[in-house]
Amino acid sequence: MSTPTADSVRTLSLREIGPAERGTRADEVVIALSPAFGDPFTKTIVDVPHAEVIRQLLAGIEERGGTARVIKVYRTADLAAVAHLGAKLSGSGIAVGVLSRGTTVLHQRDLARLSNLELFPQAPLLDAEVFRMIGANAAQYAQGQSPKPVPTRNDQMARPRWQAKAALLHLKEFDCIDKDRAAVEVEPVITTVD
Amino acid sequence: MTAVAPRSESSVRSSKRTEVLENRPVNLDGFVEEWPEKGLVAMESDFDPAPSVRVEDGRIVELDGRTRDRFDFMDTFIADHAIDVDTCEDAMATPSVEIARALVDPRTTRAEIVALGRGLTPAKILDVVKLMNVVEIMMGIQKTRSRRTPANQAHSTSAKDNPIQVAADAAEGAVRGFAELETTLGVVRYAPLVAIGLQVGGQVGRGGVLTQCALEEATELDLGMRGITAYAETISIYGTESVFVDGDDTPWSKAFLASAYASRGIKMRFTSGTGSEVQMGNAEGRSMLYLEIRCILMAKGAGVQGLQNGSISCIGVPGAVPGGIRAVAAENLVASWMDLECASGNDQSFSHSAMRRTSRLLPQMLPGTDFVCSGYSAVPNMDNMFAGSNVDTEDYDDWNTIQRDMQVDGGLRHVREDVILQVRNKAARAMQAVFAELDLPAITDEEVEAATYANSSDDYPDRDVLADLDGARSVMDRGITGLDLVKALERSGFGDVAENYLQVLRQRVSGDLLQTAAIFTGDFVPLAAINDANDYAGPGTGYRLSGERWEELKKLRHVTSAENPEEEVS
Repeated sequence: MSTPTADSVRTLSLREIGPAERGTRADEVVIALSPAFGDPFTKTIVDVPHAEVIRQLLAGIEERGGTARVIKVYRTADLAAVAHLGAKLSGSGIAVGVLSRGTTVLHQRDLARLSNLELFPQAPLLDAEVFRMIGANAAQYAQGQSPKPVPTRNDQMARPRWQAKAALLHLKEFDCIDKDRAAVEVEPVITTVD
Repeated sequence: MTAVAPRSESSVRSSKRTEVLENRPVNLDGFVEEWPEKGLVAMESDFDPAPSVRVEDGRIVELDGRTRDRFDFMDTFIADHAIDVDTCEDAMATPSVEIARALVDPRTTRAEIVALGRGLTPAKILDVVKLMNVVEIMMGIQKTRSRRTPANQAHSTSAKDNPIQVAADAAEGAVRGFAELETTLGVVRYAPLVAIGLQVGGQVGRGGVLTQCALEEATELDLGMRGITAYAETISIYGTESVFVDGDDTPWSKAFLASAYASRGIKMRFTSGTGSEVQMGNAEGRSMLYLEIRCILMAKGAGVQGLQNGSISCIGVPGAVPGGIRAVAAENLVASWMDLECASGNDQSFSHSAMRRTSRLLPQMLPGTDFVCSGYSAVPNMDNMFAGSNVDTEDYDDWNTIQRDMQVDGGLRHVREDVILQVRNKAARAMQAVFAELDLPAITDEEVEAATYANSSDDYPDRDVLADLDGARSVMDRGITGLDLVKALERSGFGDVAENYLQVLRQRVSGDLLQTAAIFTGDFVPLAAINDANDYAGPGTGYRLSGERWEELKKLRHVTSAENPEEEVS
């Protein structure tokens, strides 16, 4: 179904570096990924490749002069918990949490878990451009700035098309939770395949 | 549009026919396979419990295969408050097929089948409705609906939270026939002004319209107690303990909230629906309908008069699995059968396909429910802050035509343009006067003019949002109540609107709105299960569309005159 026509495909592998630890750089952003991100799932609910999600987030962070670390969380698939854990490990206290279906949140260490800086609840509306803007805002928050929130999109027909698939992906992601496995820091390796 | 490529992209050659079909709107809808182990299944699952009940010393000690020591709090609440201990063992011994047939058979009265239902457990109720096809489910709804006269409910909201728009669309909705109007917000702080708009506009359209504003529970209750709104609906309940706990709630906390409304004579109902538990990943391996039946019994046990159900905001989940829309009709049947007012869904964007949208609403529209939609979008869906409805303002003429084709009463009617313009204009002027009286940010004549002729929020001048939000806060800070609004309307020359509004407030003293399925006629005569009880008993009985009301529904925008075929009547 998603056979590419012109562009080459980027694939993502997450190479484990070691246990996820508290960062020291005061301006870093942590990208915290949910249990099924990258493996076994490879793309969001609207087929944005996970490689592209990571690439755009990193590019957004980089173009604002920021640095990033990526961690993968196994003990929970609750987006708020994934992101808040990332924020607590982030040197700046700022994290981007991403579920494998694409739902994303910008979080900050000192906020309540169910609060957030910016929430992007409608995964079907998140494309490469939005992920780049989210990365850029994350870098600015990490540098102590107050960026303009990424414009939110709304599509009332997202429900009939995506609600059930979202539920299915949510259930599958829950199945990938490993209560015994602590979060790890990973190096995203993006390979281009023609 | 969603950020996605068309589905047909493929290097394999496909036929022209396939291309046509691929491009049909229905193929933009999402469909998934069942996964019963996780509860992603409509109503037929091997993982639902078998029906059982056991009573000891006047107390239920076993419910659907679980003994009391293993009850979760839903089981406890249902066993202690929803099921009739005296009759349950006999009722449970009745074969399910007999009960299902009694639901359909007109010779069994509503009272008999409702009495039998009081002794049934969730699994037994599921066992009964599983035997029924969708036509039989409709037969059951026709008989068990509480109120004899069907009605309809509307959403009146604004993408810009513009209170003048909400007032004008409320007035139009009221004159078109909606018995209840509800609103909600984009920016929650706007709530007091938008709730005032809904209330004032609703009372302009005609007498007897009830309004509510869906908000976080404490504010919703506050607006109700002040008399700025007249009922409440968005008190959500869930079918598993884990989902309840996720929302920091229990059946007892919801029952307490319900009693707070009752203490002020304010009408209220709970909200639930298939799909919410599996959507949140905590269905505990039960089917969607089984969990919804637990919600229905919980609502009954809490003593509320009614329930909004029919999947509601999770409609995309049952809508995507086999038999899902049958299950949604079945949940409306069970709510009606359990003697609750049923506001029966059809209130959320459901499908890209006009055919599918229509077929989804027929199981409620044809038999008639207490509110066929809960609600119908009385604004264009782009302005619908409940995230869009199954039907909106663009569908008004289609709806009226279906009523006329089928000779069914879906609660609406065709209204001439001059009448609509008049009530929209009056609603906007009434708001202008009320805002001036209460020292709220001025409403200009230009805004009144826009409201008269507008379709959507795009057609209105922008308001000064910050000034409005200050005004909204001052409404709360100054302790403004419904009575203050009545006085402002009276002082500014809108005595008839003030009179309508005052009648709504008076009713909470009489308590008439606490009766099951209560609505008002245009003359403020309450219609409820107590004085307008559904007396359907087969062909020729029950609510029939006839007389003056049928003459009203024969009118459409364009009907060729029989007397002079060169002219139209409307």
